[in-house]
Amino acid sequence: MANSNLPRRIIKETQRLLSEPAPGISASPSEDNMRYFNVMILGPAQSPYEGGVFKLELFLSEEYPMAAPKVRFLTKIYHPNIDKLGRICLDILKDKWSPALQIRTVLLSIQALLSAPNPDDPLSENIAKHWKTNETEAVETAKEWTRLYATGA
Amino acid sequence: MDENDLNSDHVNSDTTVDDDDADCYYDFFIKGDDPMDPEDAKSHQGSGQKYTILNQADMRKRQEDVIAEVSTVLSVSGATATILLRHFNWSVGNVHEAWFADEDDVRKRVGLLDYDKQLSDVNAGDRASCGICFDVYPRDRIFSVGCGHPFCRECWGGYIRSAINNGPGCLTLRCPDPSCSAAADRDVIDMLALSDDDKKKYSQYLLRSYVEENKKIKWCPGPDCEYAVEFDGGGGGEDSWDVSCLCYYSFCWNCLEDSHRPVDCQTVSSWLSKNTDESETKIWILARTKPCPRCQKSIEKNGGCMHMTCNPPCRYEFCWICLGDWYNHGTCNRYNEAADVEADKNREDAEKYVTKYTHYYDRWAANHSSRQKAIADMQRVQSMQIRRLIETQGKAGYELLFITDAWEQIIGCRQVLKWTYAYGYYLPENEHTKRRLFEFLQGEAEKGLERLHECAELELNQFLVDYGRPSEGFREFEVKLKGLTMVTRKYFEKLVRALENGLSEVQVSGSEEIGQNIPMTSAEG
Ligand SMILES: [Zn+2]
Ligand SMILES: [Zn+2]
Ligand SMILES: [Zn+2]
Ligand SMILES: [Zn+2]
Ligand SMILES: [Zn+2]
Ligand SMILES: [Zn+2]
Repeated sequence: MANSNLPRRIIKETQRLLSEPAPGISASPSEDNMRYFNVMILGPAQSPYEGGVFKLELFLSEEYPMAAPKVRFLTKIYHPNIDKLGRICLDILKDKWSPALQIRTVLLSIQALLSAPNPDDPLSENIAKHWKTNETEAVETAKEWTRLYATGA
Repeated sequence: MDENDLNSDHVNSDTTVDDDDADCYYDFFIKGDDPMDPEDAKSHQGSGQKYTILNQADMRKRQEDVIAEVSTVLSVSGATATILLRHFNWSVGNVHEAWFADEDDVRKRVGLLDYDKQLSDVNAGDRASCGICFDVYPRDRIFSVGCGHPFCRECWGGYIRSAINNGPGCLTLRCPDPSCSAAADRDVIDMLALSDDDKKKYSQYLLRSYVEENKKIKWCPGPDCEYAVEFDGGGGGEDSWDVSCLCYYSFCWNCLEDSHRPVDCQTVSSWLSKNTDESETKIWILARTKPCPRCQKSIEKNGGCMHMTCNPPCRYEFCWICLGDWYNHGTCNRYNEAADVEADKNREDAEKYVTKYTHYYDRWAANHSSRQKAIADMQRVQSMQIRRLIETQGKAGYELLFITDAWEQIIGCRQVLKWTYAYGYYLPENEHTKRRLFEFLQGEAEKGLERLHECAELELNQFLVDYGRPSEGFREFEVKLKGLTMVTRKYFEKLVRALENGLSEVQVSGSEEIGQNIPMTSAEG
């Protein structure tokens, strides 16, 4: 099983994520695969996502930490840097990845992205356009989606 | 027979070419031209060569030379000099200029740390924890690139490998700490890379960077070729950008298209983009199959020369280009504008354009595929026919070099002829004298080349049969092929020069005379 020779780094990161979780973020490994994490991020205050609980999945490939973790939103979200499939446009998940970064830093960056959407580097053209032409309305839609998909159930 | 004998043979054979009008078609070229000189004709990269073909070792040598220069002048390590040069596109001048203007700024930009700050290791002590695997190691197993961020040897190795596998970005590798910009130079790579293979890849990227960012060097675009070409001359005007690589690929150093004399790079690019605008495949089918003018059955061109023979039972022999009867056939390169005007009276201008374009495109494409075919043929000739001739004619390999010579000439001429059609397309229609001269010269070139191509392709075949003794006609064949090769070579050289001069002799004589006289000259010859 893949878990048997789990690198010490992953074990340490996991322990720390569980023992000292970052505020508004929880990440716990799946029972049958220690490289697969169930993640929850609380919508940051003063953002259109406030009050929402967003589920994500995070996977550490064999190359980790030389390659970035693979992360995606499972909860539907209206955000210019996140597409329909929940994929995230974030530099540290691509070319700016460094093995000195960690799961924790990645999740904190995603949380920060919810606070500060960047429509100039969009993943979702339509949403980005909406954001740039009518921000108030776009923010309203984001709030609406948060209410619809990221609360309750 | 040594090299000189071969050459004198060329000269002698000149007078024995069966059809001597080949001789007179250079009479009306620019007067005062050099006397025939087989030496100068032979090499297109003779003394006037303005470029140098570089193999990997040459490139490395040049690269190491500039690194050494910068390293000496700035008193920095070779690895540091490498980082600086790469950053400034391998221009020694730019490195020096920037460095002496503001060394601190340059250091900051490329991630070179100041020596004073290098000692400020964050984790003093015997042991340190690696920032990647989080394991604790004794000091001597931990490395940092002067910034103090500690990573273990293994993690450095993995970090370097993944950067190298990600591509040339590894040349600007920095400390793994995302907040740190300290550069990891080639000494670091040499010390910490996991394998020789990684080091080799890194140095390959370094070399590629040297070639690709260097304004005077370009890779040969030939398939799988690993040579690069450094161009020293100015190019343009009288000077050509033509480069012939050691891989036998010849190309224009300036635009990297196939060699395209006598037309310039601008014409090539307009012509090529015009061609892609037209429906490509449709045009290629058009260029490859035509109905036989007698039986109307579709016939595909497979031979290299334009002499077509329809399938049995028809066996009609015709010219691929004009579909005229082969034996009552003069020249067919002339674009018959008058006839078109007649036919086009009621048509749209657009259609006229297509007609004209198709005329030139057809011939351009026919020569293009004929050249491709000739390249393949030459390979076959070299690998099979020559060996066969050694058996059937009892010749030594070097005695048969004239055959390869002929094929190389055919390939080169097809290239020129092909581009003369782009030349013709863009030649202003109101310059009647020029057009007439051009079409005449082109027509003669075509005839001459057809004769050579046919001789090399068809006449050779009879000598491949083994009769147990050398064929009687072989010597004659040799003389004829050598003669045709040389005559064609000379003719094309002069043709190229004349066209590159914009047919300026038309202006010099300033009358219609030349255009009218030419066909006469030919007929007399
Ligand atoms: Zn380590
Ligand atoms: Zn550092
Ligand atoms: Zn080459
Ligand atoms: Zn060119
Ligand atoms: Zn036929
Ligand atoms: Zn013809």
